[in-house]
Amino acid sequence: MPSSATPSELEQPNDAEKPSDSEQPGRGSPAVSVPGRRGGSVRAVPAGASSLSLLASELATLFRRRRTMAMLVALAAIPVLIAVAVRLSSAVPPGRGPAFLDRISQNGLFVAVTAMLVSVPLFLPLTIGVVAGDTIAGEASLGTLRYLLVAPAGRVRLLLVKYAGALAFCLAAPITVALAGAAIGASLFPIGPVTLLSGDVVQPPEAALRLLLIAAYLAVSLAGLSAIGLFLSTMTVVPVGAMAATVVVSVASQIADQLPQLEWLHPWLFTHFWFGFADVLRQPVLWDSFASNALLQAGYIAVFGALAYARFVTRDILS
Amino acid sequence: MNRAWTRWVPAAAVPAVIAAGVLAGSIPARAGDPLPDKSPAQILTLLGGHRTTGFSGTVEQVSDLGLPELPAVGPTSGPASAGGTASLLDVLTGAHTARIYVDGPARLRVQVLDRLAERDVIRRDQDVWFYNSKDNSAAHLTLPGFASDLPLPVPPDPAGLPAPDAPNPPAPDMRMPVPPTPADLAETFLAMAEDSTAVTVGPEVQVAGRPAYSLELAPRTDGTLLEKVAIAVDGQTGMPLRVTVRARGQAQPAFEAGFTSLSLDAPDDGLFTFVPPPGATVKELQVPPMPYRPGMPTLPGGPGMVMPDHMPGDVNELRHADKPGPSVTGTGWETVIGFPAPPDGQGAQLTDTILKDPFLSQAAVVVPGGRLLSTSLVNVLLTDDGRIFVGMVPADRLQAAAGAA
Repeated sequence: MPSSATPSELEQPNDAEKPSDSEQPGRGSPAVSVPGRRGGSVRAVPAGASSLSLLASELATLFRRRRTMAMLVALAAIPVLIAVAVRLSSAVPPGRGPAFLDRISQNGLFVAVTAMLVSVPLFLPLTIGVVAGDTIAGEASLGTLRYLLVAPAGRVRLLLVKYAGALAFCLAAPITVALAGAAIGASLFPIGPVTLLSGDVVQPPEAALRLLLIAAYLAVSLAGLSAIGLFLSTMTVVPVGAMAATVVVSVASQIADQLPQLEWLHPWLFTHFWFGFADVLRQPVLWDSFASNALLQAGYIAVFGALAYARFVTRDILS
Repeated sequence: MNRAWTRWVPAAAVPAVIAAGVLAGSIPARAGDPLPDKSPAQILTLLGGHRTTGFSGTVEQVSDLGLPELPAVGPTSGPASAGGTASLLDVLTGAHTARIYVDGPARLRVQVLDRLAERDVIRRDQDVWFYNSKDNSAAHLTLPGFASDLPLPVPPDPAGLPAPDAPNPPAPDMRMPVPPTPADLAETFLAMAEDSTAVTVGPEVQVAGRPAYSLELAPRTDGTLLEKVAIAVDGQTGMPLRVTVRARGQAQPAFEAGFTSLSLDAPDDGLFTFVPPPGATVKELQVPPMPYRPGMPTLPGGPGMVMPDHMPGDVNELRHADKPGPSVTGTGWETVIGFPAPPDGQGAQLTDTILKDPFLSQAAVVVPGGRLLSTSLVNVLLTDDGRIFVGMVPADRLQAAAGAA
């Protein structure tokens, strides 16, 4: 659909009096092939393309990147590593190692749960930090940001599309861990009825549903971190700086969550409910933490989204 | 450029809106009409006469007894069976959340929600199961036939409780001859408490979104550590919704247990069915010969179950353990109970045993004449010669009692 530019998009180049800002149409060719980008043909959308096609091209660019694939493969390697280690070693006594580790030898589906548990504190935030920190700063460092803005996409729309891409990765990452875990668990261990934390037993189809629920919970958990990464990414043209800062923020928040002296702060930390996904494994499912987590993450998205918007629409695009 | 600052307006507005929302949410909502005024006796009548037999809810329990905190347990916590003192202290320190499902007096499920783990107590009639997800262990207990020990009113229909060892159970009205009415009990209680305790009605509170009366019991003396006990009584049903115990000189409640959500619908019956999961270690427990509230040792103290006068320990039980009877000094809330040293020089040995526990040895402070185990509600003095003094009083009173005895 050839969408006509809405007024909000038209008001974008309002600080275009600065010669450095090359947002105005006509400054460059909209169909320029962007150097240094894989799938550049996808990016070369004609002027006036709808937000949907912009989003589609962003997603295609994101998931076709070798770096993204490598990160997903690395995440998928976590359950494989756990499963192989448990398979090769003797039985794990209960209460040793991460929770659920002792259940793996009895039921392969617990590989997915253990792997998600293990990847929550560092591996998932690490990959999210890379993706979210790269959103704007990556384009800026490659010199492609101004080309993206040449197409009358508008800065707001670009920001939204970039954030949507980061969210898509937030969903893809835990699902990758869950699927890889379930697959390797099924191939190395017996699959049977799953014992929940409450001691009740559910059949494998429902257990698989709960695994997906956990992945959804983790995706929601990472949405706030993505917003922080997006904001940090608008602050710099050095993507590595934004990535590192995002990861550091997540680690610092988790450390603060452990300090009893900061107890008043704990419910406000975006990492506070990260381990609450275990509530999905209770019978009946306890939705309180899911709801609290979603509300908290929505708050972070609002705050850092607004900050990212303010920073991005007021800044000079030099590259 | 002059419009650039307007771009930052949302960034400032969003936190402001969130802060405003949080502030508005923290002000207790005054939904609906205020409850009609009631006297303490009327509230006690309401409390004693409540007929709630089936409900499900979430209970949060917070203790701040001034005990040293146990090291925080991460996702990889040690074995759950770390020892008796540890599990007891686990209840006494920090915060816990539990889901409680009750359907009648003989069907109960309590789920203590731990981090990445859960402890369950499931009771259906005579069968009680304990389950701990940390080590995947279950324990089973068969209650004696008479146990209908939930603090709930017995429904008029006796069909729910067929006692296996009583072939023809007597009719319910014969089993309980003339039960005193809740109003009578309230009057009796108030008359008993009159000398030592001021029973008042505090401002109306909201617990689990329900308007509730606040019944406050405050000692009439300054010589005790206890400042106040507040019981929130549901204005509609009379169910106890929250118990708060406050200690003197402490801003946070020393103990609080209350519902954060409550549904009065009968829970799903399947919740009360428990089959040990595959791979679980199952232990069969024997009912202790003298059942002292058999059932739920792991309960974190639901509201209404914990009364302050039960907390310092059952004197009668301890009296059987020691040959010479315990000494009692002081009255009312200032009572100090002294346990004499065991005969033939085992006193020091007893103290040693107590202090061998890593936690207790850490918590006990050396004071003149012995060691003091101090909490914000109860003090325990272990004298050097093996005597033990317990009371809800400041430490110097314990030392005075020890010196006088």
